Amino acid sequence: MPNGADTFTITIRKRPRWFWVLAGLWVLLEVLFLQTALASAREDEYRAAAISWIAVAVMTAGGVLVWFRQGRPRAGE
Amino acid sequence: MPVAVSALTGGARASARKRAWWVKSVDRPALGEKTADFKRFSGDNIFAIYRQLKTKRDGAGSFEAEQAAKAKRMAGWMREGKPGFRLPDHQLSEGAWTLMKANEPGAGLLSWTRISVRTPAELGVGRHTAPPEEMAETVKAAARLYGAGLVGIAPMNEAYVNLRQEKKDIVFEDAEVPAVTGTKYVIPKKMKWVVAIAIPMDLDLLARAPTALGDAATGLGYSHSAFAVASLAEFIRGLGYQAIPSVNDTALSVPFAVEAGIGELSRLNKLVTPEFGPAVRLCKVFTDLPMACDKPVDFGLVEFCKKCKKCAEACPSRALSFDDEPSFKTRGPWNNPGHKAWFEDSYKCYQYWQKVGNGCGICLASCPYTKAAQAWIHGAVKATASIAPAADGFFRIMDNAFGYGRQHDPERWWTKDAPWVRRG
Repeated sequence: MPNGADTFTITIRKRPRWFWVLAGLWVLLEVLFLQTALASAREDEYRAAAISWIAVAVMTAGGVLVWFRQGRPRAGE
Repeated sequence: MPVAVSALTGGARASARKRAWWVKSVDRPALGEKTADFKRFSGDNIFAIYRQLKTKRDGAGSFEAEQAAKAKRMAGWMREGKPGFRLPDHQLSEGAWTLMKANEPGAGLLSWTRISVRTPAELGVGRHTAPPEEMAETVKAAARLYGAGLVGIAPMNEAYVNLRQEKKDIVFEDAEVPAVTGTKYVIPKKMKWVVAIAIPMDLDLLARAPTALGDAATGLGYSHSAFAVASLAEFIRGLGYQAIPSVNDTALSVPFAVEAGIGELSRLNKLVTPEFGPAVRLCKVFTDLPMACDKPVDFGLVEFCKKCKKCAEACPSRALSFDDEPSFKTRGPWNNPGHKAWFEDSYKCYQYWQKVGNGCGICLASCPYTKAAQAWIHGAVKATASIAPAADGFFRIMDNAFGYGRQHDPERWWTKDAPWVRRG
């Protein structure tokens, strides 16, 4: 046990319902932009493909950031 | 009520057809308003009108001088290998036009009488009979096989049939069979149904407009149209009925296509379909085969066109209307008066064709509804535009931001490996 303690506490925090709603929306948009990026490249619409890839990258980075920030312990926990 | 009359009056349910949920059937099209001025169109085509007007405006010999200059300019482009106008580009277009150019109204593939099909009597059976809904489905299935991207049934409207063609009158008579005589084209009055067909154009070629490659998309669309209506007319004759195949000849295609629910009239003063935008060629078959008629559709296009104006801005000859609202104000003898539309200046349009040496097509390629169906987002945008016109302006901005409607590299077409693209 750390610091010689007999017990330790694991906190399992339930994510709020709105978080899962937003997560669902995020997945939907991620898939939509990814499909647009791939399809636009096939259609020779390179600008549309580039913008869609940027959107995918930004959303992925944003999604990962929010996911881990939400999972971090808050002050007092 | 006789089957034929019941089908015409809408007693029969419009035949089933799978379309997106946001394409709604309506009783009247958004731009269906007509006045007493609406009459049968003269049948004069823009090419003849342009020649007359050019001579009147710029003097005798100006048209011939323009044609000579065009030929010289095109030969120069071919010699210097200008992308999109090289000899192979030009001849690709010529090849695409072959089937269409081999025909004339009432002759060849567009014959008003049977070409080779054997009649039911010759096969020792009676003519095919079925309820109007089933007949419509049968004919539509055949039309799709022959190349129709979209097909619908409309009632015959004599007002949409040209007055003349090839220096002969087009008349309706109590005849048993269609006929082309030395003085007139005879349409039997019993031909009360029109199968309206939209043939999708090759978007890969159209995206190269206004080059010879872009023109090949038009030629191919017309040639496919000739094949489709000829085949469908033979099919109908083979069932024991009369059929008249028609591409741009004989009658106006757009109003029949609107009434058959294929699409809506747009700022281009052409048909725009929900699925292919304006990138279609229209053709039709007149028949006495009783079928259930379809209804016009509304997918929010007229409201979208009011805000968009992308085609008018893209048009290099400024031939398209910038008016916010459609009106009854025509812009020349090429327009048929008496109906509400965004009328175009076909003289300016055709003048630009002389500059580039072939048809243009920029307006078709630039329309936000002209999209390959591969990216799901296009369907989502069209659906939203249909139910929430407030978003139309935003979609127009995004269409530009994403770079849609810009000309694709003509040279790349020849080396492009695109197995997922249906050629034509």
